[in-house]
Amino acid sequence: MTDKQRRIGVYVCHCGGNISDHVDVDQVVAAAQAEPGVVVARQMMFACSDSGQGEMERDIEEQHLDGLVVASCSPKLHVVTFRGVAKRAGLNPYEYTQVNVREQASWVHTEDAQGTTDKAISLVRAGIARTRLTEPLEPIVVKTTQRTLVVGGGVAGLRAAIGLADIGLGVFLVEREAELGGWVGRFDEMYPTGKNGRALIASLIDEIGRRPSITVFAGAEMVSKAGSFGNYQVGIRVGAASPETLTIEVGSIIVATGFDAYQPEVGEFGYGIDGVVTLPEFKELIEASAGPLSYHGRAVRSVAYVYCVGSRQGDAEPGANAYCSRYCCAATVAASVQLASRDALVHQYHLYRDMRTYGKFELMYTESRKLGSVYLKFADDAPPAVAQDNAGHLTVTMRDLLTGGEELAIPADLVVLVTGMIPCKNDELINVLKLPLGRDGFFNEIHPKLRPVETVVDGVYIAGACQGPKNSSESVASGLAAVTQSAVILKKGFAELDPLVAVVDADACTACGVCLDACPYGAIEMAAVTARPTAVISETGCKGCGGCVPMCPENAIDLRGYTDAQITAMIDGLLEVAVA
Amino acid sequence: MNDYDVLVVGAGIGGMESALKLGDMGYRVLLVEKEASVGGKMILLSKVFPTLDCASCISTPKMAASIHHPNVTTLTYSEVDGIDPLAGGRFHATVKRKARFVNETTCTGCQLCETACTVAVPDQFNADMVARRAAYIAFPQAVPKKAVIERAGSSPCSYTCPAGIQAHGYVSLIRSGEYEKAFQLVLDATPLVGTLGRACYAPCEVECTRGSLDGPLPIRRLKRFVADIHYEKFDGPGVEVPAPNGHRVAIVGSGPAGLTAAWQLARKGYAVKIFESAPKAGGFLRLAIPAYRLPSEVVEQDIANVTALGVEIATSTPVTDLEALHADAYEAVLLATGTPRSTTLGVPGDQLDGVMSGVSFLRAVKLGEGVDLSDKRVVVIGGGNVAMDTARTARRLGARDVTVVYRRSRAEMPAHHVEADDTEQEGVHFVFEAAPVEVLHSGHGATRGLRCDRMEPARPGATGRRHPEPIPGSTFEIACDMVIAAIGMAPDTDGFSAHVAADPSGRLTVDPTTLQSATPWLFAAGDVVSGASDITRATGQGQRAAFMIDHWIQDRNLDGIDGFDLRLSVVDKAQVLARQKAYRLAVPADPSQVLSPAPTDFREVELPMTEAEARRGAGLCLDCGVCSECGECVDACPVDDCIDLRARDETFKVEVGAVVVATGFKLFAADLKPEYGFGTFKNVITGMQMDRLLAPTRPFNTILRPGDGKVPERIAYVLCTGSRDETVGNPLCSRFCCMYSIKQNQLIMGALPVADVTVHYMDIRAPGKRYDEFYEQAKAMGANYVKGRVARITEKENGDLVLRYEDIEHGGGLVEAEYDLVVLAVGVQPNSDAQALFPMGALSTDEFHYVAETNEDTDPGRTSIPGVYVAGAASGAKDIADSILHAGSTVAQVAAYLERTKVPA
Repeated sequence: MTDKQRRIGVYVCHCGGNISDHVDVDQVVAAAQAEPGVVVARQMMFACSDSGQGEMERDIEEQHLDGLVVASCSPKLHVVTFRGVAKRAGLNPYEYTQVNVREQASWVHTEDAQGTTDKAISLVRAGIARTRLTEPLEPIVVKTTQRTLVVGGGVAGLRAAIGLADIGLGVFLVEREAELGGWVGRFDEMYPTGKNGRALIASLIDEIGRRPSITVFAGAEMVSKAGSFGNYQVGIRVGAASPETLTIEVGSIIVATGFDAYQPEVGEFGYGIDGVVTLPEFKELIEASAGPLSYHGRAVRSVAYVYCVGSRQGDAEPGANAYCSRYCCAATVAASVQLASRDALVHQYHLYRDMRTYGKFELMYTESRKLGSVYLKFADDAPPAVAQDNAGHLTVTMRDLLTGGEELAIPADLVVLVTGMIPCKNDELINVLKLPLGRDGFFNEIHPKLRPVETVVDGVYIAGACQGPKNSSESVASGLAAVTQSAVILKKGFAELDPLVAVVDADACTACGVCLDACPYGAIEMAAVTARPTAVISETGCKGCGGCVPMCPENAIDLRGYTDAQITAMIDGLLEVAVA
Repeated sequence: MNDYDVLVVGAGIGGMESALKLGDMGYRVLLVEKEASVGGKMILLSKVFPTLDCASCISTPKMAASIHHPNVTTLTYSEVDGIDPLAGGRFHATVKRKARFVNETTCTGCQLCETACTVAVPDQFNADMVARRAAYIAFPQAVPKKAVIERAGSSPCSYTCPAGIQAHGYVSLIRSGEYEKAFQLVLDATPLVGTLGRACYAPCEVECTRGSLDGPLPIRRLKRFVADIHYEKFDGPGVEVPAPNGHRVAIVGSGPAGLTAAWQLARKGYAVKIFESAPKAGGFLRLAIPAYRLPSEVVEQDIANVTALGVEIATSTPVTDLEALHADAYEAVLLATGTPRSTTLGVPGDQLDGVMSGVSFLRAVKLGEGVDLSDKRVVVIGGGNVAMDTARTARRLGARDVTVVYRRSRAEMPAHHVEADDTEQEGVHFVFEAAPVEVLHSGHGATRGLRCDRMEPARPGATGRRHPEPIPGSTFEIACDMVIAAIGMAPDTDGFSAHVAADPSGRLTVDPTTLQSATPWLFAAGDVVSGASDITRATGQGQRAAFMIDHWIQDRNLDGIDGFDLRLSVVDKAQVLARQKAYRLAVPADPSQVLSPAPTDFREVELPMTEAEARRGAGLCLDCGVCSECGECVDACPVDDCIDLRARDETFKVEVGAVVVATGFKLFAADLKPEYGFGTFKNVITGMQMDRLLAPTRPFNTILRPGDGKVPERIAYVLCTGSRDETVGNPLCSRFCCMYSIKQNQLIMGALPVADVTVHYMDIRAPGKRYDEFYEQAKAMGANYVKGRVARITEKENGDLVLRYEDIEHGGGLVEAEYDLVVLAVGVQPNSDAQALFPMGALSTDEFHYVAETNEDTDPGRTSIPGVYVAGAASGAKDIADSILHAGSTVAQVAAYLERTKVPA
């Protein structure tokens, strides 16, 4: 196909100033207009808006465009949007090229307007060059397995399993521990509804028992994953005494592996001293007794809570937890209300930094103060100190900002370190799933608003506190959101994948096998499709990374959508000297 | 009836997310949004925490998907009027598509209507900081990008006009300087622009909402203003003469009804001929209303509008034979002969010389028949407008003494009170509660006086108009040379009795809607039907008659005729006044009359308005109905028939399998914290207003303070405005205000590097993934966070603000600090939209009126009604990320519900 035959439309987006504040959009449009094969070049305030999309659709139809270039933001954000524009207007969606003049130009070069504009022009030229060589492609249709694996049998995983079954999907539920239930299964009273955690787990387990489409493996672990989008083969190691590995077939995987409680070092806020306990230990203590609290046989007449232990540590020290654990303020306030309602005479002192009883939890905070809890605020840089005297009495000293910085020494029978959440140690699973972790060590979603439960691994979703601190009902909500995402890809029984995959020229292939080692996804194998064995690339396994392409000594592999010819043309486009 | 699997109410982020995910799963979804665009509050934001993505970038793909998704049908500018559960777990929903007045299919989003629109109202999509037009596209990224014309109802002035004139429309055109267009808009109703601009009794001004503030707009005089300007430039209407349509109509009578009917028919191409018995055209306009109120030249100018379209007026041509007229190829005949007969006094002496009727007196004067009352004493009997005209005319003709005798009290006079006042100011005496019993005469037959009885006053509180009774023995005499009786008028319809019935007082009997008589080709309109009324009502009747005659000639059938009265129901004035918090009070327009206690000539007593007065007067309009019906958008729209002000709301029913309530929340109304001065101090704004100042589609293209446009250097935030605050009844934390404030802090410091940002807080609540890190980042950038509540804000003369607050971390003292701009971080209030969808009480709410989640622990989003789920902040404050997760969770349960209640195929 020669340049002259193409009819390409180029649209340069202002992104409401995000781009146009630093890129002279007029110049970019003019440069695009001058490119061979470009029949329309326009600018738009928001190309992604409905009106912007509508204008492109009209142009495609009226001007009979056979190629589309939008110079806007990262393709991560809008490539699907603009492929949709092409498709609705009757243009093959893979004749579309997104040029990123925001993250790659306006946002990163704010000091040099002309330089930024020149760069944007070069990027657009490259995009046009690629588009001149596009060919219509059809999506790869994959039949999906209508079953989901849920990893983790805490409250999020259990509820997700039920949700999946209720939508008509088969479920495998894998729990590392022998018992289902996770953290919630260890609690009785939970905030803010006061519901009994154990009873709640019991009822979920009961519901699971009523659903024949759910298979539970307790005391089991996921050990391998093979296959590709919509059809994964997963190895499950079961049986503690004589382990064996089963292979199950699923279409998606929901990871709901929860959190670990922060465990203070000995000496951290007096941890290790008799009478200094963590929040989970305190919860157990409350639940183990009725009436006024006692600890190691001693009546507890006063409790001091030290908040933010293991949370909000700043990022000065390596390995410090910079994040807020979200649930602990409300959990502690709830526990103090629970204790006060059992023992009206107990003294409770809360040593906090910011009281984060967000939303309706504020009511518990108010109630706790009404029931006599005293709140004392310490400065971020002046944490309280816990000490024990010779008689074994505990004293917490701190400077209280709420009383003008008064130095206080608070005698306490029990000191509760309000410990937060930390990521689970799950190295094997992380390795098997190849899931990326955030700086905080929790699993990372693709985007907190656009794709909050999806990960970069297709068909693998995250739910609950393995993604970041959440309380029980928030974990349930994200578990159900992951159910929704699974149903979106599995409910129809098939899914469409991008056809931007590598293909082998069987005639040129010498079956040397270099590409097999180059593929990080194990998507290439040697197979005798014709008379002799050649490399064969799985359409569904290939992620289109292109890693195999330069490795092939025979140049027998090309990547659809990013062919050698297209890449070369793009480089030429980039290197073309900008016309001033 | 179309059926859907799911109805989603509300297309904010929670509703869109729910609809799209359900659609992705293969369910058919109906998404209903009350605003003109999907997107909810999120699309109005600048950037979103903690990623600082721009809100548009995150929202617009979902917004576009909501109207392109093959399984999702999205209706904007629509409301769900009710949802009723059906057997089998399904629901009946009533959906109202509010009239957009713009064809959603053919509108191209070109915004020419918006540019042309003459009405500006506060722009809710810019947090009321700037104005938008009544014809508008919500915002640049609106989906669908289709215009809407906001019509809250008919404006009271237009609604009440008996002549069907778009009063609000011409006022808003005058405000925009479009005087000729204003004139043309009045012409659409009647040719009598100059006449009604002077002699109308202006019921519009009585109804004007501004009347309850500082006085009504001078609506009538504004009409005169545009008429005067027009007639200075044009002879005639300045419209093209329409092509003849080949039909002929005869009109008998050239008063306001006849002239208006002729005008309307001629504009449609009818050949119209008016037959007038008097030597001059115009009926009462020409022969009764005195020149000091309505100069004859003005009437001539108005009549010239009609004749300019080819209407023929045959004067001195009484019609006696209707049948002959009809036979002469006039397909329809309209009788508009008014009330030429006068009621006589019916007392001894009433046939004497020196006794005449008001109408014949005024007619003689207008026809220049040389009436001389020099040094005469005149008694005028009656309390109506004709009596006032008569008395004032008598004064001008030199009468030494003029007395009006009326049998009831002043308050009961049918004359407009202004008229009565003016009459009195011109030296006329009034005798109330007196009735004539005999006209006295001298020996030569000349009148010498009037004998009257005192009348018993009407008892206060008595209902109805009691007939006054004379008080025995109260007789008295008024010496006079002339008695003029203006006590009633009646039609003269004897000649028409062969074709149309009449009541005993001569009024013709016609269908009140169609004005058609028992003889199908014969119509009647105006005072000949209603009895004596006024020129404005008669004008309206003429307009109605023309509409009906046109339809009858075109269709020969008027059964169930509709479409003449296009008014919407009238707006509620209280709502109009509530729309804006405070109005600047203005001095009402001066009536500008020149009244003399002894007038000697017929010069017009009312002065014309200057252009400045007119613009100022029109500028006081409150735009009650929002759209003024000025018609500018219709003219500006490049697409044929795209804008149709006759469109009306449409309601339909659907059956759905499940419901998702995603009706969102309201922002706290900051003026409920008067100590912070929002609404009074211009430089105190809300968090949403700051987000608009920062957004890419921001109104001023920079951050400035609204009071004087200054770029602020010292900016304070007051967190927890309306949250965690029992004094406003909201003990809850609103969850997102800390975070959006921190986000704004960072954006402000980026945009205004020299600005100082100080945040007064109770607790900084940053409990989410990467939220606390985001807070630390803001601190590192230099934002200053001060623990303690703000007690009070006061304003300095230069607009700067003084915050009085508690500085807890530095000793806890009360401190004052000055700022250029204060941002109130307002939180969430529940709205009642969700409950209103269902039968009373069916949808449970929590104690704070959010939709209750009955089993929050395991089924977040489930409500008290099986099959009804809630997504997003309708169930309580949530930030965007939590709303999206909540919607995802709701969708899983909706799908489960649909599978469970699915009817096996």
